Amino acid sequence: MNARDAGALAPLRAKRKASPGSVRRAFQPWNDPAAEPLVVFRNVTKRFDTVTAVDDLSLALYPREFFALLGASGCGKTTLMRMLAGFEQPDAGEILLDGVDITAVPPHRRPINMMFQSYALFPHLSVGDNIAYGLRREGLPRQEITRRVAEMLALVKLDGLEKRRADQLSGGQRQRVALARSLAKRPKLLLLDEPMAALDRKLRESTQFELMDLQSELGLTFMVVTHDQDEAMTMADRMAVMNHGRLVQIGPPDEIYEAPTSRYVAEFVGDINILEGRVASVTGEIVRVETAIAGAVELDEEAASLAAGETIFVGLRPEKITLSHDEPVQAVNKVAGEIWDIGYLGDFTMVQVMVGGDDGQLLKVALANRTRRIERPFAWEDRVWLSWDVEAGLVLPP
Amino acid sequence: MGSSVRGLKGLATAIALGWALVSGTAASAQDKQLRIFNWSDYVDPEVLDAFKKETGITVVYDTFDQMETVETKLLAGKTGYDLIVVTASFLPRHIPLNLYTPIDTAKVPNLKNAWPEIQQRLAKYDPGNKFAVNYMWGTTGIGYNVAKIKERLGPDAVIDSWRILFEPDQLKKLSNCGVHVLDAVEEMFPAALRYLGLNPDSKNEADLNKAGELLRKIRPHIQKFHSSEYINALANGDICLAVGYSGDILQAKKRAEEAKNKVEIAYSIPKEGALMWFDSFVIPKDAANPDAALKFIDFVNRPEMAAKNSDFIQYANGNIASKPLLSAAVRDNPGIYPSEAVMSRLYTITPYDQKSQRVVNRLWTRIKTGK
Amino acid sequence: MRTGNAPTRRLGRLVVAVPYLWLLLFFLAPFAIVLRMAFSDAATDLPPYAPHFQGFSQLGEFIAALDLENFRLLGDDPLYWQSYLYSLRIAALTTLIALAIGYPLAYAMASAPRRWQSLLLVLVILPFWTSFLIRVYAWIGILRPEGLLDMVLAGTGVTSEPLRLLNTEAAVLIGMVYSYLPFMVLPLFATLQKLDRSLLEAAADLGAPAWTAFATVTLPLSIPGILAGSALVFIPAVGEFVIPDLLGGPDTVMIGKVLWSEFFSNRDWPLASAVAVVLLFVLVAPLALLQRARLTRGGAA
Repeated sequence: MNARDAGALAPLRAKRKASPGSVRRAFQPWNDPAAEPLVVFRNVTKRFDTVTAVDDLSLALYPREFFALLGASGCGKTTLMRMLAGFEQPDAGEILLDGVDITAVPPHRRPINMMFQSYALFPHLSVGDNIAYGLRREGLPRQEITRRVAEMLALVKLDGLEKRRADQLSGGQRQRVALARSLAKRPKLLLLDEPMAALDRKLRESTQFELMDLQSELGLTFMVVTHDQDEAMTMADRMAVMNHGRLVQIGPPDEIYEAPTSRYVAEFVGDINILEGRVASVTGEIVRVETAIAGAVELDEEAASLAAGETIFVGLRPEKITLSHDEPVQAVNKVAGEIWDIGYLGDFTMVQVMVGGDDGQLLKVALANRTRRIERPFAWEDRVWLSWDVEAGLVLPP
Repeated sequence: MGSSVRGLKGLATAIALGWALVSGTAASAQDKQLRIFNWSDYVDPEVLDAFKKETGITVVYDTFDQMETVETKLLAGKTGYDLIVVTASFLPRHIPLNLYTPIDTAKVPNLKNAWPEIQQRLAKYDPGNKFAVNYMWGTTGIGYNVAKIKERLGPDAVIDSWRILFEPDQLKKLSNCGVHVLDAVEEMFPAALRYLGLNPDSKNEADLNKAGELLRKIRPHIQKFHSSEYINALANGDICLAVGYSGDILQAKKRAEEAKNKVEIAYSIPKEGALMWFDSFVIPKDAANPDAALKFIDFVNRPEMAAKNSDFIQYANGNIASKPLLSAAVRDNPGIYPSEAVMSRLYTITPYDQKSQRVVNRLWTRIKTGK
Repeated sequence: MRTGNAPTRRLGRLVVAVPYLWLLLFFLAPFAIVLRMAFSDAATDLPPYAPHFQGFSQLGEFIAALDLENFRLLGDDPLYWQSYLYSLRIAALTTLIALAIGYPLAYAMASAPRRWQSLLLVLVILPFWTSFLIRVYAWIGILRPEGLLDMVLAGTGVTSEPLRLLNTEAAVLIGMVYSYLPFMVLPLFATLQKLDRSLLEAAADLGAPAWTAFATVTLPLSIPGILAGSALVFIPAVGEFVIPDLLGGPDTVMIGKVLWSEFFSNRDWPLASAVAVVLLFVLVAPLALLQRARLTRGGAA
C-alpha cells in the first residue's frame, strides 16, 4: 500500500458493497487445498494452574480472511488471541505465521498488531504520537512517520485531531485512534479484542461496516474475538464457536446459523426451539421423527447416518415457524398450542406458544412486523397453530 | 417508670458527688503537689520518696537534658513548674528579666550548711545569693579513653593539661581516634584563654580573637562539636578524648563499667585550671506552690540527704556539712572533689554582653564550619 | 424551592470555609508571628526581642522599630547562604539517591502479585512504628568505628581499617535516604500500581522491547509519582536538623542546625525567625515553579 492508495480509500462508505455476505461467498480459501494459510495453530494447549484455557486446539487462518472467534466469557478465546500476539506462551503445540514457528518470538518482534478491548491508548501522548508510536519503534525517518500518521488519520477520518490527547476524545474517536495505531505498522494480521464492546449500538453497527470495508480494501487479515454473535456474523467471512478451550464448529456465519453441528452451537448462535424425539423412519431424504410434544414431524435432511429408533433433537429457528388461527390443512408439520406471551421487539415480535398442554413446552415463534398496524392479529391466550416446512427443521445429535 | 426516675435521681447525685470529689481533690492537689524540672538522672529516687513520706507532698518530677529547653520555656513566659534546676551561667541574663522569685531564706534553715566557697563563687552569677541555691557543682575538663590514649601517646602518657587539646601536634595523634568538644562558646573560649595565659573571663575582642585563632588551628582534628553526644561516644569506646562536663564524663565512665565493654574512661581537671559550673535551684515567678519548693530545697540541704544524692549521682554538692557523710569513692575522687590546690585554680566567668556575645558567636561558627 | 435551598447553601459555604479557617489559624497566623519576630531585634527581654507591641496608641513607634537588619545579616554573612546552599545540595542528593533506590523498589512492589502487595507495603511502613530518633541512633551503632558495618566489612575481608563513616557527609546522606525513603516509595508505588498493564502490552505489541516500553510508557506516566515523592523527600530534607546533628560532623552544617543554634544557643530569636522565613521562601520557590510547570503542561495539551 502507498500514499495514493490511501487517498483512494477516503470515501470508503460509498464504496461499500451492497451485501458483504453474498460478495464474499466466492472467497473460500479454506476450501482450496492449494491455499497457503497465514496462521496455523497446531495442537496448542494452554493451562492456567488447573484450568485448561485452550485445549489441544488446531486452526488455520488464511490471508485476507476476516475471522471471528465467538464464545462465552471464559471459553479461552482471549487466551488464544493473546498467544497469537505473544503475551502468553502455549504449554504445548506450536503457532506458525507464514509457515514459520513464532512460538518463541517475543511480542515486539511479531508482525502482528492488536487492538485492545480497552484500546490501551497512551494517555500521555497525543493522537498523532499514539499512532506514530509503532512507527518510531521501527526507526522510520521523520517525514515518513508524519506521512503515515496523516494517512492513518485520514483512513479513520480523524483528520485535524492529531494534537488532541486521548482523554479529550469521545469513545468512538478513541476506538478509531486505537484502530489507526494498530494499522499504522501494516501488520500481516490484525487482532481485534472485543472491538465494539465500548461503543453504543448505533455506532457499533456503522463501525462494523467500516471495519469490513477497511479490511477488504487494505487486503489485511483480521481476527476478531467477540462474545457478540451479531457482530461476528455481520463481519466475518468465517467464524468459529469456542467452548471449554476447544473449537466446536468453524464455518461461514450462515453455515453456523443454519447448519449447526451440535446443540451447543445451535443454542449459542441465535434462538432455537429444541424438540426431543425418536427417528421413526428414513425415506430417501425425508426423516420422520416422532416427538413427544408435536407428534410426528418430517425433516428434509441428508440423514444417511440416522437409523430408525435413534433418539435425536430437532432444532427449529423461531423465524421459520408460521403462526395461524386456523389449522393449516396443507402443512406437513403442524402443532396446536396456546399463546402464553408476546414480546414486541420493534422489527419483529417474539410469541411464546405453549404446546402439548399446560405442562408441555414453550415454543418461540418470530413474527416479522411488516406493517405499522398497532392492533395485532394474535393475542394472549389465543388458540393457535404452528406449522413449518420440511426444510425448516434441523437434526442435532443428542 | 418509678424505678427509672429513681435511677435518674441517683445518677444526678452521683454526678454532683463526683464533681465535688474532682474539684475538691484538684484544690488540695494544688497544695500537695510540687512540680520539679531537673536534669535527667540528677536525683536519688529514695530522696524523693523520703520527701513525699515526710511532707505528704506529691512530687511531679520532669527532666530535661539541655539547658536550652529550660531557657526557652522561661523566656516564653510560663513554665508550669515550682522548682527548676538551672546552670548558674544563665542566671545573670535571667535575673534582670524578673524570671525568678527570691529565696525566702527564713524558710530554708538548712542553708546554714551551705559551702561558703561555693556560695561566694555562685554570687558572681547571682549577687547576694538571692535567687539561687546551689544543688550540685562540677568542672569542665577532659574525659578520655585510657587504653586508646596509651596506644596513641605511649604507655607513660598523662592527661593533666590543656596541652593535649591545644597543641595541634599533640591533638593530631588523636585525630583518627576521635575527639569531641562541647558546642558551647562559654566553655571553649575560657579554656583557650586560660591556656594562652590570658584572663579566662576576658571580654576583650583582641583576646577573644587570639583564643579563636587557637581553636581554629585544632579544628581539623576535631570530629564533632556537640554538647551531649560525647557521653555515648566515650562510653562505647568510639572516641579517645572529649572536652566535657565532669558529671557527664563520670556518667560515661559508669555506663562503660555497667556495659562491661572493657572501655575505661577517666576524667582529668587540667592543671592550668578549669571552668567551674553550678547547677542551682530557682523558683520561677509563676510557681503555683513556692512553699513546697522551699520545703524541698530545705529537705535536700539536710547533710544526710545531700550526701545521699551525691553518692547516687556522683557529683559534688554545695553542702559542706554533707562532706563527712559521703562515701569514700565520691569524696576521694579528685574529679569530683578536687584538692585544695586544684580548687584554687578553678575559675568562673561572667556572661558576655550583647556585643561580645555576637563576636564570640561569629568566631565560634567560623571555627566549627572551618570557613 | 429557592428558600428551601438557602440553609443548605449556607451550610455548604461553611463547609468550604473550614479549611480556609484552618489555614488562617494554623499557617498564616504563626507565619505572621514569625515574620514579625524576624523584623525585630534581639534583646535581653521577655520574650527576648524588641520592640514589644504596646497597644494601638503606640502602633507608629512599634512599626518604626521594625527593620530588615536580620535579613541583611543573612545576606552579608556567607555562613548563612552557604548553609542554605549546603542544605539544598544535601536535600537534592538525598532526593536523587532516594529516587534511584525507591523507583526500582516501588516498581518491584507494584509488579508483585496482588496478595503480596499489602505485605510489602507494611514492610515499607514498618520502620515508622518505631521512633524516628531511635532509628537514627541505630545508625550511629551501625556506622561508628568498629560498629556493625565495620564488623561486617572486616569480617568479609572487604576492608581492614575502620571506615570512620560516622560524623561525615556520607553518614548524613545514609541517614537521610534511609529516613525519607518511604516518602519516595509510597507515592511512586501508588502511581505505578495504578498504571494500566495493557499499556505495556500495547507498547510491546507495537514493537517496543521491555526497556523501551519502560522509557516511553512507564516512566512518563509515573512522573506525577516522581514529582510527589521528590517533593515529599526534598522539602523536609532541606530543613532537617536531627540527622545531621546526630550523624554529621563539623562539616555538615545544615540550615536547620544554624536555626537551632541561633534560637537556642545564641538566644537570637529574631535572627532565627529570619532564617526560618528565608527557608520557607527557599522551599516555596521550587514548589511554585513545579506547580507552574504542571499548569503549563496541562494547558498546552
